[in-house]
Amino acid sequence: MRLELGTFPVTDISFGSRTRYDAGRLTVDREAVLAAVRQDPRIATAELEIARPGESVRIWPVRDVIEPRVKVEGPGVCYPGICGRDIATVGEGRTHRLGGMGVVEVSSVNWHDAGGDFVETYLDMSGHYGAMYPYSRLWNLCLVVEPDATLGEEIKNYAVHKAALTVVDQLGEAVRTLTPPEREVFELRPVDPALPRVVYIWCVHSPQAMSGSPTAFCTTTYGLTQLTPPWYLHPNEILDGALTGPYRTAFAMSWTVANNPLFLDLYRRHGKDWNFLGVISLRTEWTTQTEKQLMANQTAKLAKQLSAQGAVVTWDAGGNEFIEVVRSIQACERLGIKTVFLTSEDDATDGAPTMLEPLPEADAIVSTSFFKNVTLGVPEAPAVARVIGLPTKKILRGSTIGLHGGADAALSTAGPLPVPWRYDDHYGFGSLSCIE
Amino acid sequence: MISAIYNFALTTGANRVIKGARIEHVCGDPTLSPEKDYAFGMRIVTRALETLTTAVAGPTLFDPMTPGTTPEADHAS
Amino acid sequence: MSSPLRVVHYVNQFFGGIGGEDQAHVGVTVRAGAVGPGRALETALGEGARVEATIVCGDNFASEQAEDAARTIGDELDRLKPDVLVAGPAFGSGRYGLACALACKVAQSRGVAAITAMHSENPGASSARREIYIVPTGTSTTSMPAALAALAPLARRLGRGETLGPAELEGYLGRGVRRVHDRGRPGYQRALDMLLDKLHGRPYRSEVPYAAPERVPPAPPIADLSRARIAMVTTGGLVRKGNPDKQVSANAVRYHRHEVAELESLSPSDWEAYHAGYFNHLVNSNPNYILPLSFLRDLERHGRIGKVHEHIYALPGVSTPVAVSAGHGRNIAADLKAGGVDGALLVAT
Repeated sequence: MRLELGTFPVTDISFGSRTRYDAGRLTVDREAVLAAVRQDPRIATAELEIARPGESVRIWPVRDVIEPRVKVEGPGVCYPGICGRDIATVGEGRTHRLGGMGVVEVSSVNWHDAGGDFVETYLDMSGHYGAMYPYSRLWNLCLVVEPDATLGEEIKNYAVHKAALTVVDQLGEAVRTLTPPEREVFELRPVDPALPRVVYIWCVHSPQAMSGSPTAFCTTTYGLTQLTPPWYLHPNEILDGALTGPYRTAFAMSWTVANNPLFLDLYRRHGKDWNFLGVISLRTEWTTQTEKQLMANQTAKLAKQLSAQGAVVTWDAGGNEFIEVVRSIQACERLGIKTVFLTSEDDATDGAPTMLEPLPEADAIVSTSFFKNVTLGVPEAPAVARVIGLPTKKILRGSTIGLHGGADAALSTAGPLPVPWRYDDHYGFGSLSCIE
Repeated sequence: MISAIYNFALTTGANRVIKGARIEHVCGDPTLSPEKDYAFGMRIVTRALETLTTAVAGPTLFDPMTPGTTPEADHAS
Repeated sequence: MSSPLRVVHYVNQFFGGIGGEDQAHVGVTVRAGAVGPGRALETALGEGARVEATIVCGDNFASEQAEDAARTIGDELDRLKPDVLVAGPAFGSGRYGLACALACKVAQSRGVAAITAMHSENPGASSARREIYIVPTGTSTTSMPAALAALAPLARRLGRGETLGPAELEGYLGRGVRRVHDRGRPGYQRALDMLLDKLHGRPYRSEVPYAAPERVPPAPPIADLSRARIAMVTTGGLVRKGNPDKQVSANAVRYHRHEVAELESLSPSDWEAYHAGYFNHLVNSNPNYILPLSFLRDLERHGRIGKVHEHIYALPGVSTPVAVSAGHGRNIAADLKAGGVDGALLVAT
């Protein structure tokens, strides 16, 4: 598989009469793009707004941030499978991307109606909270969209995400036939056989257990979110968005998956520091011990069959999902594959362990610090001048988000706001860690 | 302790661990008929009570379906 | 340089020159100045440091007459008023390590800074690492020079009233206190560096050290189940329907105790699950899945168990820091014990 990735850096977004890209300036024909979105009868309302880096702007509720990518040559479409898109295998040919920007999916639709998982992320384009994430440095085109209220929750999820992808596709057309200012060729070319062989074990949450549905909305692999055995992906498939869609945290967005620095560095240093074998994607939150162990065994077996000598492991969730992740690490080590685990930690009070199930085989851990914003001591986000999206944010006393004392509250989005529950830098974007 | 994710309970030091059905229905199985669901749950609970009368030296796993103790699930593939 | 650094050194009967194993029973004695390895310690401590006195105590005495030893050591420190107490190094000697840990704890309780050194697997280390500073050493006395070289600078700084920085940077055994720390380079780069080190056989240090979970001695078995009082506890997030107690769905700071004396079973019209970590609907149809009251009542009726305890305990077991969980556990256990409970079933989700 050979993929040429052409980048069109975006340095400004404005509304204009035609959607076009010219030397960094992206103009968006607002009405034409919204017309495309509104073609789906499941969409009730849709609006587009621009959030500029450094502005005193807050966007809420943020379900996803998607980097516009379009397939120019080769089979399939970018972000295949999700929301009914073509499932042809991607990763070949040429793909164009708009760098330095995101399409933000802003909607009140919650992940599923089984309880326990709530949309709670908002993004600031400035200030201390904004600085914690890469989005405040992106030009963000926000689609504020609501679906037909009579639809089932699962369909609503797919409807609004499809709307965001419609915007992505519209922008992609603007650069389809242009010559990209930056180009990079990606392939797993043959390398010096003495280089160590390394695989990336990418653990991804499945919403199946929590929602009770195998088709609940979440991060998808070619459109599937259900619990599946470990899956080999060629890194070019990742570049074309085969793994896409949000989970619940600000670092688990389509944008961070497509721009995962750990993945990109693994790929770019193929042939120099290692022989990168590709990605093994493991779905997590199986609900029995046997299933968790089976997945761990099979993940390690797959890595071994690929002749991996080393593996880097990440995950994007919390709780009992840790078990299949850490047991995959254990299974790999027992097959002689040297692992490194990149993960956040839980509270350490009174010297208690910060890992759910400490196993001695997990002996090479890089910590991205405590996953809870309250443990990190992140102060309230400050008041902002403008809000894109809903004017109030509900803080439930009895939920995983926000306050545990006092009553339920609906706070003004523009005012100072408690930060969301989880920080959780899944892919090691930042340098925060913990030390003893 | 009755738990569906029992190896984790053993690793973290629970001494008497009994295999539960699934996280979402630890003591039973709603996919069975009501009588069989109840019988299954009763099997788990009575086994759990039996462990309270059994001396153990450290973290020990018990299976509702088999007498005696159960070795931890084999990890290596 | 200001006033000299006044150090008291604690050693066992062997390093104190009294004798070997046969003298392990001797009590606490004090000698002026440095004795045995204390001389090398004094040198390692550098300019202006003086080992004013050496407290010598037999390892068995420190273990079997710990209270006595502690009192005497404490009184000596009150009298001598040193800037810092240095104990050991104990290397791999278990009883010596425990004695050094004791000496340090006593010193700290009397307001004297203290530090010791021993192998990281010395029982003295696991017993006290959360409370005192312990510099890791090799297992045998052949590594004495290295041990003193590591120990001395930290002893100096403690003696000067300084607080030491994080364990990982200063070189003492982690005390289980983890803090946010910016490592200056993105996590993904650190992960790939660690991967290369591990693959190429170079030394690496995990940013999260492995800590084996605590082991608790198992409770002895119940002799006669038919006369036993059995209680139930659940971390499945059981709440009364509508959650009138306003329990949270994760990171619970409290648990709730409910009365079930009048109940034969948990009915879905009165109970439900509120737990952010699993699909609650099945338990909502049958709460007995996570708190098996119906089964225990059945067994109680048939005389298989003596009595179902009137109280049940519930909380959502998700995102609870371990220390908070331990607190809940201790309180529930105390309650159960006070209630005359013989055995408990804990159902976890």
